[in-house]
Amino acid sequence: MSTTAETAPRALSRRRMRVDGWRWTGRIFLAFMLLYTAVPMIWMLITSIKSGFAALQFPPQWWPDEPTLASYEKLLDPQNSVGQDFLRFFWNSLFVSTVTTILSVIVAVPAAYAFSRFSFPGRNFLFFAVLLRNMFPAVIFLVPLFILMRLLGLMNTHGSLILTYLTFGLPLAIWLLKGFYDNIPVQLEQAARIDGATRFQAFILIVMPLSTPGIIATAIYSFIGAWNEYIYAYTFLTKNDQLTLPVGIQRFFSENTTDFPGLMAASFMMSVPVVVLFLVLQRYFVRALTEGAVKH
Amino acid sequence: MAYVVLKDLVKSYGSFKAVNDVSLTVNDGEFVALVGPSGCGKTTTLNLVAGLIPMTSGDIVIGDRVVNDLDPKDRDIAMVFQNYALYPQKSVYKNLAFPLQMRKLPRDEIDKKVKEAARVLDMTHLLERRPRELSGGQQQRVALGRALVRDPAVFLMDEPLSNLDAKLRVQMRSEIKRFHQDLKATIIYVTHDQLEAVTMADKMAVMNGGYLQQYDSPAQVFAHPVNMFVASFIGSPAMSLIPLQASTANGNSVLTSAEGWSFELSPRNARKVARATTRKVVLGARHSTIKLRNSAVPGAIPAKAYTVEPTGDVTFVQAFLSGAIVNVSVPPNIAVAPDEQIWLEFDQERMHLFDGETEMALKAD
Repeated sequence: MSTTAETAPRALSRRRMRVDGWRWTGRIFLAFMLLYTAVPMIWMLITSIKSGFAALQFPPQWWPDEPTLASYEKLLDPQNSVGQDFLRFFWNSLFVSTVTTILSVIVAVPAAYAFSRFSFPGRNFLFFAVLLRNMFPAVIFLVPLFILMRLLGLMNTHGSLILTYLTFGLPLAIWLLKGFYDNIPVQLEQAARIDGATRFQAFILIVMPLSTPGIIATAIYSFIGAWNEYIYAYTFLTKNDQLTLPVGIQRFFSENTTDFPGLMAASFMMSVPVVVLFLVLQRYFVRALTEGAVKH
Repeated sequence: MAYVVLKDLVKSYGSFKAVNDVSLTVNDGEFVALVGPSGCGKTTTLNLVAGLIPMTSGDIVIGDRVVNDLDPKDRDIAMVFQNYALYPQKSVYKNLAFPLQMRKLPRDEIDKKVKEAARVLDMTHLLERRPRELSGGQQQRVALGRALVRDPAVFLMDEPLSNLDAKLRVQMRSEIKRFHQDLKATIIYVTHDQLEAVTMADKMAVMNGGYLQQYDSPAQVFAHPVNMFVASFIGSPAMSLIPLQASTANGNSVLTSAEGWSFELSPRNARKVARATTRKVVLGARHSTIKLRNSAVPGAIPAKAYTVEPTGDVTFVQAFLSGAIVNVSVPPNIAVAPDEQIWLEFDQERMHLFDGETEMALKAD
């Protein structure tokens, strides 16, 4: 009797210690990951406020002696040729990414809804055909798409990039959204149709508001994909005034002197829209709108 | 309010017929329950009436109009779903107002009707809440409110109580029944729970395998099931069905079992058995019509008690007889132990006889 009474708490504490051990392993891992992702970002930020000379010093200055915003001023100044280029690249990227995002949402929403709700001949085949594109590395399609774009007369246009980015983004957008529509009970639409809505009204008034988080997630996904893409932009565009940011930054600074603070400031500003987008819209990712709608 | 007629309704998916030539009439103000096991076609039938799925052939009439090709919105119906299907992004008020908004009613009229419905269902204090902030019973009530706010010709209900816990289910059962009496509403109610059908409905349509088996008042269905399926599906515990052999002994009609016992039939029952297509006859008896004896009496059949389930005011005994399970209910003061030898006495007046081949009930005349 007494032995069990003594061993029981010890067994309990041993179990708790094991749980704690795992928890601490997890925390250390997370801390390491944070370091791994945050340090380059911080270093980028610190370098961007150094002078050109300080950036090349060794041992490095952990914190610049004379922090300066000169690089930012230069990049954002439309009078200066560097600023003109940077602002143009920024605008090009914004244009290509925004149009890609809008088009992919416009196409993906009805496509995903159809895949989720209707049964039609070839439905499964089409659905997997849509995914097939994503099973190959992007580079494989570089040459075929290049030839295609030339035939279409789209070389050196932003249209070529938008079309290409849609072929990347759409399959996943459709797939992602279909998952969302699958989770919206079909009875909600049926109820709306009985309550006096047409099929289309039921979709617009009931299903669309419920799938907003999915649509926003999809939009962010396509936006980021288009915003960061490098290889295709590098291949399809040759005229300086058409370049998007990733290519523009790379080309511009390798042509001039390696202006590290300028490069880092440009990189930092390139990441700003993505981060802002994420921070503003992230609550949509976590909001479980359909909770409590139906009982499962 | 209005009547509903289904005529030769068929819904097939490829070669599979989910609903097979179903014809029935629901009179104005009647509460009809479609009841049957899962996959019997009852929900499909309801969805056909609602217009949510297209029918293969047949006719549906709602209040003098053939609605075969009308959209759900034009059929003047309201529906309560099993999972309630409340619009999660809308408050209770907006859920109730939605059907009225879709019909473009003026705002003050919508407000009046919503508040009236909320008052009737005693949920005025819940109007500003979202569905997820409500309990199951409250959600159920909102679903009901959304149906009644519009004053439709017919109410369709698809297992509205099956997501509630047992206690709430009984309470909502009487509320829906009250709702039907007060509104004189025409209601088609789908359920797999025969008890719900028996207690609530004016008429019940028992379905199996896509076919309508029997359509009558619960009392009639209970007293005169048309076939073995209906007999075993309606009533709890289920009617005992014992396969036997018809023969004659000393010029009298008797039923014999494979185990060797037999009993003599009354003249009326003998006439029934004479109509069977083969000699195979199935004896059906409800638990309350069988007498349990602790000792042999003339006419009683020996059996062995298998399980004994006391429920308080009545004790259910299960016994094996000729390979069939026989349910018997006895007063709680009668002591029976499992594996004990017992004798069962069947009531000739209240027993059912079925054709062993066609499974249809045998009739005396």
